[in-house]
This record gives sequence, C-alpha cells and structure tokens, in this order.
Amino acid sequence: MRRSEGSGSIADIGRALLGRLLALGPVLFGITLLVFLLNAIALGDPARAAMGQRADPEALERLRRDYALDRPLAVQYVTWIGRLARGDLGTSFREQRAVAEVIAERLPATVRLAFAATLVAVVLGVAAGALAAVRPGSALDHALMGAAVLGISTPVFWLGMMLALVFAVTLGWLPVSGYGGGSLRHLVLPALTLGALHTGTVARMTRSSLLEVVRQDYVQTARGKGLPERIVLGKHALRNALIPVVTVIGIGLADLLVGAPLTETVFAWPGVGRLLVAAVGQRDLPVVMGAVLVFALVYVLGNLLVDLAYLVIDPRTRRAAT
Amino acid sequence: MRKLAGLAVVVALALAGAGASAQAPRAGGTLRAVFSADPPTLDPAHATDTTSSAVIRQVFDGLLELDETLTPVPALARRVDASADGRVYTFALRPGVRFHNGREVRAADVKYSFERAAKGKRPWVFEKISGAREFIKGTADGIGGVRLVDDLTIELRLDRPFAPFLHLMAYDAASIVPREEVEKRGPGFASHPVGTGAFRFASWRRDDQVVLERFPDHFRGSAPLDRVVFRIIPAEITRFNEYRAGQLDLTDVPTGQCRSVQNDPQLRGEAAVWPTLGTHGLRFNVAKPPFADARLRRAIAHAIDPTLIVERLLEGCVYPARGILPPALPGYSSGIRRLAFDRGRAKQLLVEAGHPGGRGLGPIPFNFNTGDLNQRIAEVLQAQLREIGIALELRRLDWAAHIKVVDDGSAVFFRQGWIADYPDPENFLTVLFHSRNIGAAGNTSRYRNAAVDRLLDEADGMAPGPTRSARYHRAEQAIVDDAVWISLYHYSSRALVKRSVKGLERSALSSAPEFLAPLRRVWLDR
Repeated sequence: MRRSEGSGSIADIGRALLGRLLALGPVLFGITLLVFLLNAIALGDPARAAMGQRADPEALERLRRDYALDRPLAVQYVTWIGRLARGDLGTSFREQRAVAEVIAERLPATVRLAFAATLVAVVLGVAAGALAAVRPGSALDHALMGAAVLGISTPVFWLGMMLALVFAVTLGWLPVSGYGGGSLRHLVLPALTLGALHTGTVARMTRSSLLEVVRQDYVQTARGKGLPERIVLGKHALRNALIPVVTVIGIGLADLLVGAPLTETVFAWPGVGRLLVAAVGQRDLPVVMGAVLVFALVYVLGNLLVDLAYLVIDPRTRRAAT
Repeated sequence: MRKLAGLAVVVALALAGAGASAQAPRAGGTLRAVFSADPPTLDPAHATDTTSSAVIRQVFDGLLELDETLTPVPALARRVDASADGRVYTFALRPGVRFHNGREVRAADVKYSFERAAKGKRPWVFEKISGAREFIKGTADGIGGVRLVDDLTIELRLDRPFAPFLHLMAYDAASIVPREEVEKRGPGFASHPVGTGAFRFASWRRDDQVVLERFPDHFRGSAPLDRVVFRIIPAEITRFNEYRAGQLDLTDVPTGQCRSVQNDPQLRGEAAVWPTLGTHGLRFNVAKPPFADARLRRAIAHAIDPTLIVERLLEGCVYPARGILPPALPGYSSGIRRLAFDRGRAKQLLVEAGHPGGRGLGPIPFNFNTGDLNQRIAEVLQAQLREIGIALELRRLDWAAHIKVVDDGSAVFFRQGWIADYPDPENFLTVLFHSRNIGAAGNTSRYRNAAVDRLLDEADGMAPGPTRSARYHRAEQAIVDDAVWISLYHYSSRALVKRSVKGLERSALSSAPEFLAPLRRVWLDR
C-alpha cells in the first residue's frame, strides 16, 4: 500500500517538474528577445567599439559585414535563435571565439563563488538567526540582528574593499584577489563578500521564523515533555522554522547574480559576471545574450531546486503530494 | 641614403635610479605585472588597445622598434636604407632570427605579415605603401609596393614620401608572424601567439592572467627574466592593494592618490610620474550650429580655466597644456599660445557672436564618457561656463555610445582624449584635423581648413627637421586660434614600481599599469 502511494507521489513530483521545465522555454525566449531589443535601442556599434580611438572606415565596414550587423534586426535575431536551436550560441565579436567556449571557461569560477556564498549564508545565517532567537531582546540578539542589517545594507563593492584591506593587506592572512588556480584561500573573501547580503536576510528570516514556531503547540508539547531547550529548539523548532528560510535562499539567488559582477570585479575573480559587464560595454551582443541566458537558466533552475527542497524538509508537502 | 644601422642601444633608464643601472643584470625570477582589462586579442593584426599591445610587444618583433628616445632603431631588420626621394625603403633582415617554433625568419614572412595585418583592424599602418588601398579594398591580390628582393631583403615603395613611415614599421601592428602557425591555428592564433620576441607565450586564463616565459633563442640573446605574469585586475584599488601586499612588482597609482603615495614613507621611493604622449581635450563639431561660429568657440575657450582641473582634480600630476601636441612628443613646440583664461574677453566674444550673456543659446549639451574623473571635469566646466552665462547640459554615456555620437556628428561639444599611436606630430594634427579624416578616422570636429590641410600635407611628406616642424607649428597655432580643440592637460603615467625591478623603461609610450616598453632588459634584484 505505502509503496504504491510512494510511486504516485514521485510521479506527481515528476509531472510538476516537467511542467516547470516546459515553462522554461517561453521564459528564456522572452528574455533573449528583451535583451536583443534593449541592445538594439542602446547607442553604440560593436564594430566601432572594437576599433579603439581611431577607426578606419573600410575596416569598420568589413567588420560590420563580418559581424552580420549590416542585416536587418529581425534577420539578426532569427538567425541567432536558429543557431541556438542547434545548440550554437554564436561567436563573440570581441574575442572571435565561440560564445559557449568564452562562457564555459568562466562558468566554473562563478559557480564556485555562488556556491560558497550560499554556503556562507546558510551556515552563518542560520546559526546567527538561531542564536538570536534563543533569547529575543537580549544584547546578543541586538548585536546579531544589527550585524545582519549591516550585511544587507553594505554595498558589495565597499565591503569587498574593506575585507581585503583588513584581512589581506593589513593582516596578510588571505590573498587580496585572484583565482589562485582554484585554491580555497582565494575563495574566502569573495564568498564572504558576496554572501554577506544573503547571510543577513537568512539570519533575520531564521530568527523571526523560529520565534513564530516556538509559540506553536507542538513545541510547547515538546517542552511539556521535559525535553531540554537545546533539543526543543534544535530538533523540533528549527526544522520547521527553516521552511521559509529555504524560500529566502531561493529568492536570494537573484541577489547573488546581481552581486557577482561587483564581487568578481573587486576580487579579480574570472567569472561570468565580469564577462557580462565587459561584454555590455563592448556591445558584444552574442556574449551578452549567452551570459544572460546562462544567468536566467541558473535562476530558474535554482528556484526549481528550492521547490524540491521543500519536499525534503516539509513533510506536509510530501503528504499533500500523495 | 639614410642609415639607421648601428645606432647605439641606449642604456635603459632604471626607475630606481642611476646607481642601480650600473649593476650587472641578474638572471632569473618572475616579474609580476598587471593589466586593468583582459586583452581582447594577442594577434597583432587585430589588436587596437594598449593591453593587447603590451603583450604583443614582448612576444613579437617588428622590422624596427623605438628606443627610449622614441627613435626607430633596427630590430628584425639589421639596416634600412631610404631612397633620396623618400619613397623607397629597403630593409635588410638580420640572418638567423628564429620564430618560437624554431623556423628562421625570411623576407616572405614580412610580406605575408603586412598583407595579413592590412586586412585587420589597423589598415592605416600600411595604407601609405603603394597598392595597399587596392589590396585592402579587395581589388588587388597583394600589396604592389611590397617587393621581395631576396630571401633576406624586402623593399617597400610608397605612393608619396611619408616622414613617419619608419615609426609605422616600429608599430606593433607591423609585427612579423609565422604563416604556418597562423594557418595551423586559425582564429586560435589570437589566443596562442607565436612570434620572434624575447618572451614566448606560455598560458592565458581569461580575466585571470597571461603568462609569458623567456625565449632563450631570441636574436638579442636570452632575457634575464624567467617569466612575466600579467595579472588581470579590473579595480584600481585592488591593484593597489595587491601591490601593497607585495604581490605585484608594478602597478598604476589609483585616482586621487598621486600626492598621498608620494608622501607615504613606504611608497615614496617607488612612485614615479612621467609624461606620456596624450592630451585630454574638448572638441566642437564645427560643421553644425551653434559652433560653426568661431567666435562662440573662442568665447568658451577663454572662459575655461584648466588650472583647477590640473591642480585640484589631478593633484598636479598631469602637465598643463598650451597647444595640442604633448611636450613628450618629438616635434613639440613650447611656442604655441593658448587662448588664455579671460572671462572679460569671453563675454565680449559672446556679444560679437550675437549672444550677449549667453542669450539665445539655450542649454548646450556636453557629451563625455562614463568615468569619475570625466564627470568631475564636466562639472567644473559647467560651473566655469555658467560664469559667462552659458548653461551646459551634461550628457554622460558609456564609451561605445559616446564614440558613436562623436563619430556620427550628433554631439556638438564633447570630450576627447588622444594618445599618439606613434611619436610624430602627424599622428596628432593630420589624423585629428585634416579634412580627409573627417569622422571616425579622427577629425571628429569635422574641421575643414584648406590652409591647415596644405601645411599638414606638406609637413607629412618632409624629412624630419626644423622646416617640417615649423609647418606643424603653424598648423597647430591655426587650429588653437580657431578654437576647434581646447586642451585641458597632457597625460602622464603614474606608476608604482618596486625597488627590486631594474631596467624598466619610463617610455613616454607607456602608461601604467600597461608598460609598453620591452621587458627584455628588465631584471630583478632580490
């Protein structure tokens, strides 16, 4: 009996997943069209931007032909979509290499950074939120929540500069910047910088959610059974309190993507965020389209993962699915 | 016959002082240099920026190169002879020079490299050679004016004499590349360059670092440095922090810190400021109202006091300007008179132009490209012009958009910096003000002055000397008097270099953090 119920729930989840994945197509299509149109109304010519301070008129014309910029906008877009359907993201104007290659060599750095920042946010944020919730209104609570607000409101660029100044230049504990061939030491400061905002929101959400949960009957029951407060909070309350926190983490992905170009710039981190900013400046449309597509994909898939995480944490969603 | 062979190689000026240069170079070590942006390409035919050039100059050689005094001296060519009429140049190649792949350089490589680069992004480097225009347009199979005399001799014929031609031959667009490597790698040559230079390409992780290593078989002998690592660090404050943490051997001084590093007890001896070949200017589109009226342009020129910009915004770390040519440029004249700061004269000119107190002008759009300094300069200009009744409407665009409105003539009053590609007045005055170059080619003022055109045409073809210089000076003064361009200041390079770095040239062509000077003489004393 249970077995068939179980497989039914998995099928339901599968269907829901499939639905979400199918919706991905139109979303991504809309995004590419939007980026293309924004680029079309933005001033500036990629061929001219590639020329530096002085442009030879004939070389400019040749480059426009090479980039297919002499063709109507609609044709340019349809060609791009046609290539995309065959899995080809086109060729970067600036680097004259496949966009897929240009992005692929920078993607691992961004993924590492985003993953580390999320880890920082979850570990530090949940810990700080839980600690603050133990005795609401205490000095510790005020200090932690003050730090959380600071984390949320500090500009990424400034925070990165300050962390580098203290921990790298003054104390010499960590490297100032760079990828360091993928060493963990190089990852610490960028991850803290990018994760700060997120840590703040997660901490605040954990605290308020915990305070909400501890008023619930089952927590009172657990206390009534004489369980130590550590077990009550850690086992019974925290798990339930984490459900809204997971939502915050999902929404926070957007902040990570926004913060990535700045963090990557201040720490000279060779990621996709920096690539995107440079490509916009150079009007390197194929790279802009490719990078935005990757960001959109990460965002949508990230939120899908969050939905799946609900199923793990919240037994009610599992029950509802059966 | 003019001979360039045998010119003494001038001993590099060591930044750390004359005492250090007396020491014998010590071999070994890695120079940790830095760029502010990832180079778009390492292919000399496609580079248009100084970052790319900084690598290209180490990996490749040209027929000639510039020494510290910015004079062309032999490189791959062992000597060059010019015909009496200045139209034919014969280059004798150094025998036994090898590419990084081991093959010897031949005259055919020069022809191949020039024809390839002529169809690249800097065709103007080759357009003076007979038949180049036809070849670039695609109506000829090769550049007619390039003739192989024998395996080690090549002759270049020009349509008309062009004095800075040897400078073009020392320019990195005219680097010599090996055909087989280009053909083997295709577009990949731009990410894996192969030349004859003192350093060969080792690796490049995009947006992270470019690594070069010593080429032991370089024709001038092995360089002292084992390796050069160019880190790519976009934020100037991060470059500065890396330098202070001891992770970079050289970098640029961050904006606004020029005085503070010179007063810092630790950094004082490592900071250096030197003039470079650039001018920060303001330009008008003279083909359009209201600035078709020279009186109005002159009124604005007289109303601007660049002292505030030089002394306050740039901490006195740039050079005040009289004319257009920077003082470090060979051919510079200190005799040019600028339109002096004089509000009374400015107001009077407004009256003469029919706009007393700025009446009838409305807000004038002023275009500049994004950047803190440009923004602050624009605000200073706005405040100064308000004093004579002219309201500026500041229009900030990013570089790609700015250059578009400047090139197509829709901007009427705008900022434009110019950095010489090669050290000759032609590269400033003819490129920026000859009517032949109106638009993206350089004359974004859309200035047409037959007398100036004639002076420039004459000077461009003359052999260097006082007669040629005098023509440029007359042209420059005419342009300044016409207020087509208002110079704000001349650029400088503001660098920090560790004391252990010896033999690094302070060339007027380099601007920190990109040191365009050859690194083959640099060595580390640590």
